[in-house]
Amino acid sequence: MITFEGAAKHYPDGTVAVAGLDLTVESGRTTVFVGPSGSGKTTSLRMVNRMVAPTSGTVLVDGEDVRSQDPARLRRSIGYVIQQAGLFPHRTVRDNIATVPLLLGWGRSRARARAAELMESVGLEPSQAKRYPHQLSGGQQQRVGVARALAADPPILLMDEPFSAVDPVVRTGLQDELLRLQAELRKTVLFVTHDIDEAIRIGDRIAVFGPGGELAQYDTPERLLTHPVDDFVESFIGYDRGVRRLAFFPANELALREDVLLDDQDTVERALNTVDTAGQPWALVVDAQRMPLGWVDVDRLRHEPSGLELGRLTLTAYGHTFDVERDSLRAALDAAVLSPAGRAVGVDPDGRVLGVVSQADLGNAIWSVS
Amino acid sequence: MNAVWDWISAVADWAAANWNPPGDQERGVWPRLVEHARLAYLSILIGLAAALPLGLACVRWTRLYPPVLTGVNVLYAVPSIALFFLMLPYTGFSDWTAIVPLALYTLVILLPNVVDGLRQVPDHVRQAAVAMGFGPLRRLLTVETPVAVPVIIAGLRVASVATISMVSVASLVGLGGLGQLILSEGFRRQFDAPIVVGIVLTVVLAFVTDALLVLSQRLLTPWVRRDGRRRKRKQRAAVPAGEAAAVDAGADPTQSAETGNGAHPWMS
Repeated sequence: MITFEGAAKHYPDGTVAVAGLDLTVESGRTTVFVGPSGSGKTTSLRMVNRMVAPTSGTVLVDGEDVRSQDPARLRRSIGYVIQQAGLFPHRTVRDNIATVPLLLGWGRSRARARAAELMESVGLEPSQAKRYPHQLSGGQQQRVGVARALAADPPILLMDEPFSAVDPVVRTGLQDELLRLQAELRKTVLFVTHDIDEAIRIGDRIAVFGPGGELAQYDTPERLLTHPVDDFVESFIGYDRGVRRLAFFPANELALREDVLLDDQDTVERALNTVDTAGQPWALVVDAQRMPLGWVDVDRLRHEPSGLELGRLTLTAYGHTFDVERDSLRAALDAAVLSPAGRAVGVDPDGRVLGVVSQADLGNAIWSVS
Repeated sequence: MNAVWDWISAVADWAAANWNPPGDQERGVWPRLVEHARLAYLSILIGLAAALPLGLACVRWTRLYPPVLTGVNVLYAVPSIALFFLMLPYTGFSDWTAIVPLALYTLVILLPNVVDGLRQVPDHVRQAAVAMGFGPLRRLLTVETPVAVPVIIAGLRVASVATISMVSVASLVGLGGLGQLILSEGFRRQFDAPIVVGIVLTVVLAFVTDALLVLSQRLLTPWVRRDGRRRKRKQRAAVPAGEAAAVDAGADPTQSAETGNGAHPWMS
């Protein structure tokens, strides 16, 4: 547990980096400090490992004032991941990861074995062990940075905008990996970012910092989206917070229609029987494995020769699907909005169609959770 | 054309005849070359040995650097001939008369390189080192100094060529290796073969020394990116955007295939 007690940082020229922070970071959870630049989030983070000394107030780790410990020793017990990874260019990937174990006086072979273990858990190939940092992509470097921070198995992990220097696709992947690692390791993670979407994805708790180093709100992601405390927080989160909040509700409770699924082997005549019973304007054609093929407009189907197989028709693209078990209402809504039929296709993890849901049905589901 | 050839062969004949005349140790070409190399290398090594701790100190205590830099620059402005003569009362005609001033010049050239090299360590690397729990001294010695090696060696290359050429000036005080050929054998006797031999061997010595330094840099810093080659490779290998910064493509051509297999979709 990390406790900030009135921790403040004033510079001699009068600038206030952090204006008296009172906040408790729970053990084993991910807490995100988010805010615009100059809001004091990084300064606050660095108070924890004494890279910044507060001008007043204290920071406690498990009830002990960080100032009571030798800074170098304290820092070796706290993992740190920095923007751009901060890898040592003259050391191989393996030796970068082994840095803190070696500082702690582990033997070289034990430190290297630990490095190999960590490379695997962050998803690096063993063949990369003897490479130098510049031979890796930005995303790979950042994974080495995470492995290095975890090397001595510290209970606390400080992450200072770790993913902001990589492109969005790689960033999403790194976030997924962090979530997976964290589910396994249960570290006390303190994560700084200026990206509210990243904060909502990563954080169990989010602290929104405002201009002038003031803590504006400290809450769970869901509460933050539903109940922003003031105009600043509301505008920082963005206008679409209502839609983003849907990410917290699973899609598996949606009522999916199966009566509009048509087999591509069926003739137009048989298909018309099916759709007339359903009474829907669009039907989805699937193959024998229930993989989606495309939408068919029921009105146009009436003008097709009755003996024709559906597989021979020109179908309307079904767009992107949502995974009923894993995705949220937000993903389902997005799929429905982008679909030319105004309907989203729900699939199982193998991509087989479980059913479809219309925008109107989605609207009811959203209404019921709001 | 023939006149040129005659002249060249006359010079070569003179060099062969005087290469290592038995019983006349002082006047041979070979002993002069050895003396030249000894004076130059000792000066460079002593200059380097002084520049490293001084540079480290200037980085550690930043306020030291401006006065130290001004001080050594003033020394550099003193003509070498003057320094050699100033040394004479203290060191006589020993090697030190040449080595002390030459080592000082090496120091002047190297000091800014040592300081700049240590300072050019990227800020995020330095901060990561602090956050990992490196103390200031350990950080200086195990992170900043190795990262500074390429810049220091670049300075050494300039300093070594300058020193090797300047050793000849010390022939005015009776030292100077190949400079003796130029001054006493050639100039005083109005005879051009020793002058040419002295110049050619000085240049050869400078070249060989430079090549040794380049080689030692390759060995000491296997981690330095060789930019020109890399960029060409990068253009040739069509890698996806995320991986684009990656990969010394030549080192492991299977790499992009491995990472694209979907096990870690974010690796590519």
